[in-house]
Amino acid sequence: MDSLLYPLAGLFLPLFPLSMLFNTLFARTRQYLVRTLLLLVWPQLGLALLSLLTAPVDIQWLSALALFTSALYAYRAIAARELNQWSGYLSTSLWALLWLFVIHTGKPTPTLHLHALGFSLPLVLLTILGRNVEKQFGAVYTDLYGGLAQSMPRLSGALILTVLAVIATPLFPAFFSMTQLVFAELSVSLSSALLLLIIWLFWSWSGIRLLQGLVIGSAAGVTLSRDIRDISVPVAWGYALLLITLSTGSLLIMEIAQ
Amino acid sequence: MEQLIALVVAFPLASALLVQLVARRQGDHASRISITFSTLTAVLAGLLLWLKLSGQATTQINLFGSWGLLLFDPLSTLMMLVIALISLIVHVYSRRYMAQEPGYARFFVLLDLMTACLLLMVSAGDLLTLLIAWHLIGILLYFLLGQDMRSHSAHRYAFWTLITYRIGDIPLVLAAGLLVYVYGTGSLPDLFAQISSQPEQQLFMGLPVLDIVAGLIAFAAFARSAQFLLHTWLPYSMAGPTPVSALMHAGIVNAGGFLINRFAPVFVHAGDILHWVFVVGLFTAVIGSVLMLTQNDIKKSLGYSTMGQMGFMVMECGVGAFSLAIYHLIAHGLFKGTLFLGAGGVIHAARRDDGVPKNDLYTFVVERQPTRQRQPWLLMAAITLVVPVTILIISHWLVSQDYFQKQGAVVLLFFGWITGAQLIFATYRMRSQNIKRLIGMSTFSFAVVVLGYTLISHAFDLFLYPDEVFRAQIYSAAAVDIFWFDIMIVLITAIIILGWFLAYYADQSRRKEVVPSNLWMTFYALISRELYLQDVYSRLSRMLLSGAARLNAWLRWV
Repeated sequence: MDSLLYPLAGLFLPLFPLSMLFNTLFARTRQYLVRTLLLLVWPQLGLALLSLLTAPVDIQWLSALALFTSALYAYRAIAARELNQWSGYLSTSLWALLWLFVIHTGKPTPTLHLHALGFSLPLVLLTILGRNVEKQFGAVYTDLYGGLAQSMPRLSGALILTVLAVIATPLFPAFFSMTQLVFAELSVSLSSALLLLIIWLFWSWSGIRLLQGLVIGSAAGVTLSRDIRDISVPVAWGYALLLITLSTGSLLIMEIAQ
Repeated sequence: MEQLIALVVAFPLASALLVQLVARRQGDHASRISITFSTLTAVLAGLLLWLKLSGQATTQINLFGSWGLLLFDPLSTLMMLVIALISLIVHVYSRRYMAQEPGYARFFVLLDLMTACLLLMVSAGDLLTLLIAWHLIGILLYFLLGQDMRSHSAHRYAFWTLITYRIGDIPLVLAAGLLVYVYGTGSLPDLFAQISSQPEQQLFMGLPVLDIVAGLIAFAAFARSAQFLLHTWLPYSMAGPTPVSALMHAGIVNAGGFLINRFAPVFVHAGDILHWVFVVGLFTAVIGSVLMLTQNDIKKSLGYSTMGQMGFMVMECGVGAFSLAIYHLIAHGLFKGTLFLGAGGVIHAARRDDGVPKNDLYTFVVERQPTRQRQPWLLMAAITLVVPVTILIISHWLVSQDYFQKQGAVVLLFFGWITGAQLIFATYRMRSQNIKRLIGMSTFSFAVVVLGYTLISHAFDLFLYPDEVFRAQIYSAAAVDIFWFDIMIVLITAIIILGWFLAYYADQSRRKEVVPSNLWMTFYALISRELYLQDVYSRLSRMLLSGAARLNAWLRWV
């Protein structure tokens, strides 16, 4: 039973090369609701599968593979130019790290489900925001139309905050998860803690590159030739409130974890 | 009353929220809210410092359960007032300066958030709070430098800043993790108490934990304070608005000096690391100053000037003069902030009249050309050496008897006095034909500088590190073997004397046609191209990017 559960869990808490399946599925899915659902449910399924294991997870090479997968997708994300592709890479990089939590505790804990949710929710918000841009331009590529801050300032603001939440900026949930993970990993190995921090650095690099390609620059070309509709003020505040709720929630999770 | 410390951090946060809420209705007047809150913050910070000076005990307040600790101690209260004042000045300046810029309200929101984070950083009483503030400062600085959302170049350089800061975050997180792992607490007061009782803790493979932690903290400080190899972002970050440059050069870049001071109880047990800190600081001070002299872009020149100053500040930490570093960062902050904020006015005035005085003082200080000789060199040299040494002995006899113990501070003061003396002599020499008056003015200047510096250093020492034993421990940790100490003093003196000879030679050969040697030209090219470091880093990042793109293509983008 366990020997079947591990590969399945490796599919849902993506480990390379099984991670390619999730990314193919995510890239081919055009329905944003399905994408949203995938982002929410996929890692939770992985954790649910791991909780079915009869013996505690204590395989050290899994830890190395999880770190490798996370590092690989974090590195690849710096060259990603399409928003959904970037989301796919980042989700793979983030979720692979859940294995390290499981290896530390032996079994998935309720807090770990919250960590997974904390990784997924900003990605869900990003998918919804991406759909808004996609509706206007047909695609969400960087350096294609540029200067969204000029043409869609409210959406750009929400996009910036959401990307910051994805790349584990304080006070968003992923920041606390990463800090906790680095601190825990230090008790095992200095090198894996260092690798975690390098992965974190790649997230920042790729996130800022993505924002620079989408938000920064003069509104020109396609942007000027269309009637661009920004998100409304209440919707922008809605996004802001959701992100604030997410931060507050992460503070609570941090307290529970302590 | 110490609960007020939470209010000092909360005021800028409240201001940011309020400005964002009323920005649409109030428009440009939103800045008034921001300035009002900044004033309140500065007043409150002043009150807290006064409370601390009047003898209130060091305490802490807890905002959340296991973290969110704020310290009410000498370092935090002093730094809070400095930050609040610089922030207030920048706010007031920005009100009119940024009026025509797009994103006016956003700018004040970011400025308020940055102020809040800086205040949180200096008052953080636990590692997690410190990490949060440390990380957020980098992010907010990116958006402040990239205030102009249309400018790709501003964002490109802001990105360099952010990445360097993120690289600097790595060692700090590792240091925090190691401290929590070894001592089992993230609270700084508890941590420091444990460190002083068990400083000999070992890590994997018998490595001394405090040496590793001190090395990591020093690395984090180097990245934040633009030390050599991690400095390339600083001269290029001028594309941001002037008030941001002022805030960055006056406050943010000084964070390295603050961090080393905050973790003084760690560095006390890591003498070897302090020696490395000294070497890095010295190297940065020299390289920064050399690069500053060869730049033909005034903004880059200012950036490298800050780099040199930061090197000097870090060097002060390396010789154990921790409180001097705090004095230095405050003095440099005020000086450089004024310089940046005054730059716009000077440029504006220069458009009407360049106001360049074509005299010896200008050619010496600005054009960096040797001056004509009016007074004997030998006398100058003798005064430069004899007067500071005499005053050093007298001042330490008056203030503190144990100056040999504080050998680090002696090296610094010696170094500082003699270099400063060159400028004082050169300046006075050009203005005075009367030898008695010249000597009198120079001696008086020395006395003011030396006595002032010594007294201020003593006052800062007493306030920041009231425990006499701990003060002695810091100097003892940074102490070097007396042989090396003597070598260093002799070396510095020899370099200065060589400098005099070179200046004398340059003066004598001014009228001759001198063809620079190839070696000199190569050196000049190397320095004027900033040691090609920016090119190397750009090449590296391009290689990483193209590697990632190739990998993506190879894996079919999934």
